[in-house]
Amino acid sequence: MKDACEKWKDQLLEAELTEATTKDLEEHLRACTICSRELDAVRARKAQLDELLPLVARGAEPPADFQAHVLAAAEAASGASRARRWRVWTLAGATAAIVALMIGATMYHRAAQRIPEKELAAVQRLAEWRAPSDALLATPGQEILRTMPRLGESYLNVPVKRNEEE
Amino acid sequence: MTGACMSALIARAETRGPEAGFGERIAENQRRVFQIAYSILGNAADAEDVAQEAFLRAYQKFGSLREAEKFRGWVNRIVFRLALNRQRGHRRRLTRDTAWQMTETRAMVDGAKGAEQQVLLERLRREIERLPEKLRSVLQLSLVEEMDAADVGATLGIPAGTVRSRLHTARKLLLEVMK
Ligand SMILES: [Zn+2]
Repeated sequence: MKDACEKWKDQLLEAELTEATTKDLEEHLRACTICSRELDAVRARKAQLDELLPLVARGAEPPADFQAHVLAAAEAASGASRARRWRVWTLAGATAAIVALMIGATMYHRAAQRIPEKELAAVQRLAEWRAPSDALLATPGQEILRTMPRLGESYLNVPVKRNEEE
Repeated sequence: MTGACMSALIARAETRGPEAGFGERIAENQRRVFQIAYSILGNAADAEDVAQEAFLRAYQKFGSLREAEKFRGWVNRIVFRLALNRQRGHRRRLTRDTAWQMTETRAMVDGAKGAEQQVLLERLRREIERLPEKLRSVLQLSLVEEMDAADVGATLGIPAGTVRSRLHTARKLLLEVMK
């Protein structure tokens, strides 16, 4: 298409789509073979487009058993959800029963194991008791064995145990 | 599934319980719902999947969708959305996949008579894919039977006048590129 005819391009498309032309365009078409040839081409493309476009959406049909399939799937889904609900509640009930049983058993066990205060106090006293003869078992060297001389000190520097009570 | 079993299911759905009337709603809407999905997805297997999913979702909400008009509008919107979601997934996969896999997917498109028309339809689908989304959605929905500008507008949430002007622009762009 010539550059001078470029401005008619849009009008050609519009004319074909709206099936209405303007006086100006008609005049130009009578004078210009390029544009009238272009209009023929646009017209052919429009016819082709009109034939093809419906196929984009209507080129296929739902299968004959579509309705039955959907109904079966819907039934199955609602059946499954009913069964799921039933399973969930049964499971929840069973879990609650088991938990209750376990709590009950633990509490019973604890109650059975409780030690009387008196016995507990006796055991405590027994654990803290020291025999009076414990002091006699201590050897004189014990103090040396418990202390390590620091650098420069002597093992012989035995700390003299003074009797503080005297 | 046997024919007797099928008709028993349909009869049961029509006469009993909360499902009463659901079979009838499928019958009224299935062609349009399928076409909406097919227009966007371009192959029958995917369209059937998506249409079924749309009806199953409607079934879950059937208590509030008993009214025929309400059901119609709701199922149109849901199938459109489901088809768009699936198409986006496809597009992501197609950009990852190699070219020969793409041609194979494309060859599965049904409906066109003859190889030449098949090729042209393929080209048209590609050109529609290239349209801006706003124009593409309007065009795809408008191509469905029984979908007027008001229906398309209700599905997309835009006025019918906007639907008409976008449809015009979409057709003009296609007329320009389909040389
Ligand atoms: Zn000219």
